[in-house]
Amino acid sequence: MRSRRKTRLRAGSMGAAGVALALVLTACGGNGEAGNEADGTLEVWAHSGQASEAEALQSLVDQFNDANEDITVELTLVPEADYTSTVQATKAEDLPDIMEMDAPTMASFVYDRKLVPLEGIVSEEVLENRIGGVKESGTYNGETYAVGMFDVGLGLWGNASLLEAAGLEAPATAGEAWSVEEFRSNLAKLAEVSPSGNAIDLGEANSFAAEWGLFTTSPNLWSAGGTLMKDGKAEGVLNSQENVDALTEWSSWKEYTDPNTSGTAFQEGQVALTWTGNWMYPGFSEALGEDLVLMPLPDFGNGTKAGHGSWQWGATPAAEGNEEAAGAFLDFLMSDEAITAMTDANAAIPGSTSALETSELYGDGKPLALFADNLASACGSEDVTAECIAVARPVTPGYPTVTSSVGSALLAIWGGADVKEELDKAARAIDSDFTDNNGYEDE
Amino acid sequence: MTTTSLLPPKSGTPETPARPARRRGAAGPAMAAPAMLLLILFVAVPFVAAIGFSLYNVRLGDPREPNFMGFTQYARILTDPDVSAQFLSSLGHNLIFAVIVVPVQTALALALAMLVKRALPGMAVFRAVYFLPVIFPMALVAIIWRLILARGDQGLLNATLNFFSGGNFGAQDWLGSELTALGSVIVLSIWQGCGFQMVILLAALQQVPGELYEAAELDRANGWQRLLHVTLPGIRTTLVFVALYTTILSLRVFDQIYVLAKSGGGLNEDATRTVMYQAVTAAFDQNNIGRASAISVVFFILVLILSLIQRRLTREREA
Amino acid sequence: MATTIQNSGPRNSAAPAGTPAAPRLRRSSPRHRAGITVHYFALVITSLVFLAPVAYMVAASFAPASDTLAGFKVFDVSHWGLHNYSGVTASLSSDSTGHLWRFFLVSFTVTVAVVGLGLVVNSMAAFALSRLEWKGRGIALLGILMLLIVPFEAVAVPMFYLYNDARNTLWIQIVPFIGNALSIFLFYSFFSGIPRSIDEAARLDGAGPWRIFALIIAPMSKPVYASVAILTFLTQWGAFLWPVLMVSEPNLRPLPLQISVFAGQLPPAWGQVMAFGVLLVLPVLVVFLLFQRWFIEGVASSAVKG
Repeated sequence: MRSRRKTRLRAGSMGAAGVALALVLTACGGNGEAGNEADGTLEVWAHSGQASEAEALQSLVDQFNDANEDITVELTLVPEADYTSTVQATKAEDLPDIMEMDAPTMASFVYDRKLVPLEGIVSEEVLENRIGGVKESGTYNGETYAVGMFDVGLGLWGNASLLEAAGLEAPATAGEAWSVEEFRSNLAKLAEVSPSGNAIDLGEANSFAAEWGLFTTSPNLWSAGGTLMKDGKAEGVLNSQENVDALTEWSSWKEYTDPNTSGTAFQEGQVALTWTGNWMYPGFSEALGEDLVLMPLPDFGNGTKAGHGSWQWGATPAAEGNEEAAGAFLDFLMSDEAITAMTDANAAIPGSTSALETSELYGDGKPLALFADNLASACGSEDVTAECIAVARPVTPGYPTVTSSVGSALLAIWGGADVKEELDKAARAIDSDFTDNNGYEDE
Repeated sequence: MTTTSLLPPKSGTPETPARPARRRGAAGPAMAAPAMLLLILFVAVPFVAAIGFSLYNVRLGDPREPNFMGFTQYARILTDPDVSAQFLSSLGHNLIFAVIVVPVQTALALALAMLVKRALPGMAVFRAVYFLPVIFPMALVAIIWRLILARGDQGLLNATLNFFSGGNFGAQDWLGSELTALGSVIVLSIWQGCGFQMVILLAALQQVPGELYEAAELDRANGWQRLLHVTLPGIRTTLVFVALYTTILSLRVFDQIYVLAKSGGGLNEDATRTVMYQAVTAAFDQNNIGRASAISVVFFILVLILSLIQRRLTREREA
Repeated sequence: MATTIQNSGPRNSAAPAGTPAAPRLRRSSPRHRAGITVHYFALVITSLVFLAPVAYMVAASFAPASDTLAGFKVFDVSHWGLHNYSGVTASLSSDSTGHLWRFFLVSFTVTVAVVGLGLVVNSMAAFALSRLEWKGRGIALLGILMLLIVPFEAVAVPMFYLYNDARNTLWIQIVPFIGNALSIFLFYSFFSGIPRSIDEAARLDGAGPWRIFALIIAPMSKPVYASVAILTFLTQWGAFLWPVLMVSEPNLRPLPLQISVFAGQLPPAWGQVMAFGVLLVLPVLVVFLLFQRWFIEGVASSAVKG
């Protein structure tokens, strides 16, 4: 009987201990509900993807907090894979004051009243000083809802020694881009000289079902003369013959593609090519040095294309009444010092004209000049011309459906599914979602 | 002593309280209240709400009033070529999962239980080894196996097969290929869940009276006959429990699919998507709470039907 | 390893005394010895298969990044070190990424609260359902049976919408899982098997239902408490779906969610992820080894006796 009594007590006290701990955690959990105006706290959400970017941002926040005694920025990093869903799932009033967002998701957050216009919050000079691409990515329905510290470049990176071993010369400018036929035969040649037996890393490990898939694969569609949507419709656009051909070609590269589970295949010289963005430059350049070359993506006929539009900052309705602190922080992030600190970490194209001018990476003869040149001929995804190089993803509140449907299609196509069928399916899914939501008309 | 039904006694059977408490105090409702209240709030209410949501175009975070859609979501799940194809294939994956995992895992667990049951030194160690994966959260299991199954010759499994086949066995894309994706998920799930069943079956085996084996031995029954005529009948109730439990688990598969598909595991989504995965991605990624709710409702109805069939089968066998 | 459960076989069966098994015939024929060898062989081979993934995790947690995904190189002990453990501690040490210790604290708190409160609440309800007579008992019992087949997954989506206001709180990770139809059912089955005469005797001594439950029935039911506790513990410690939907605040993430977040970080630091995995499993391993005997007895009595 003695031990029986003890059992009951244990069960009871275990529960009590749990509740007590819960209270302690809630108490010191901190950054939840507490009013921010009173104590000058500014809550900020950012995505955590590349470790170096997160570190740079963290140190900028520390710097800001040290310099501003009356404002405390509390930074929360949300994993990139769940970032957009998380913002989507959070009520406007529970959002932080300032949040980061990927460029194409901005319209959907405006539609859900989760962003407020930045005129009057961010200073006039800062807004003016932005480069063209960043201005465009931050504007929806004629108003500025976001400011970006940088814009991105997407390119084909090569290992010069391996290229040479295969007897290939790297194209340097957009005009010299490999045609898709050349690209295919070069993959075969490079697979033979690459130590892993695979020629290229397409970032498969980042998951084609995620935003990565649409971001890195849509240039193929644009370059083939296709696009994702027109006038709020995907049917007949997304599943066009151009797109089917482009993605059939893309999926045929799988036999030359390294899964790169370790994330370091290119840096270690295991593969000759990798298809990724500017943010990998610091690591690549450290690993490969002089051997690193940057090339335009292959040309499917309509000229080489690349993506643009990246992570940017906006203010939410929660910042109302706290505009001054919000503005101070955004102005700080958009200062040339902050932009330079960030672009040193991710090698992105600086988002302000003055920071771009002093950049060590961008400009004539500098290592990443190609990205800045691409961005100089930018356009939207509805009317992609042969001259245009950097194309923005569709600006629509229905973007979450677009990216999720296209992502699923890409993953299936990569797994060997029928290209036309998958694109048909994705187009129907997108259109049906748009119809359900009255075309996302925002009155 | 092991014959009592695992299923709750029907009213009227001797197991029900034969002589209920004489005083009809308030204690009964009071003691039942906390649990009942919690179950109402967190199971019954959400379930009813799901029916409501499924009739509207509910979007999370949208300040506008949701549009009434009637049974459109159900019509799509059941008839729309795309949506229903996806739903049916998800359902199919759950069923394949159940049809393979329930017998295979149960048989494996039984074999392991019989192995460790023998009174030989060191059995506790082996038992702990088989049970070890059970304490691994499924999310972690998925990550470990994602590395083991990595495509190309980097993965441990491909390296092992390559080694033992002397290089004749080409590197496989275990998670990406349509043919092996679901199989890979099944293997890692069995690895994780088998030990749990083993412990349950072991306990049941230990309750089979030893003299039955002695008698069988005297009758010169061979090992196979002993299994068929002594062991299996002796643990029948437990086998039913284990199969039921595993079936329910098979219908709920989500964690491993989500981790493998979302964290860059390269899992072939179309070949492995389960009903819960479809519901969660509809809600979380596409912000389509209406459709996700409709899927949940249909899913529940299917679970209900399946449970009723299973109840009837087990009852017949009990009788 | 707990020696108390080491002996198995009919002689030490968990069955109540009264059916003493006859001693096995001792045979030391060569055939018998060969049988034992085959037996151990089977045990060792299956153990290797079961241990391989664990061994891989442990090896990768010590191996340098270049060995993690390079076939058998991961087992090259000469390259091993503790860098992944210091790495994971360092990468998870700020409020924006969340602190390593917090993930453990969250998982621990949630699990302990759900298990502890669940034992009290569910056993109380089962007692009321199985041993007391009250209006509505039949309906309540039927309700529990219905809910028994509603998997949490079937209501996760509507709950995600309904309880959205409680995103990023600790209570929303705990409260929905306290009331549990399966636990009630297990308690109910066990309580139903306890002879009525015990309550009758206590009632004649003047004990009310609360005292009968707390001082007589509950203490007699140790095994079912143990097995419900362990079942709940395992489910809750690995909980993933609900945190995915409801938690984005790093400091409120439970371990399984955090490890998937950590694994999704770019570039992937697989060694650190595996080191995290080892750390995540260790406390449960300790709990398992401490409670192994309870577990086996508990499962034996509830799943087998019914």
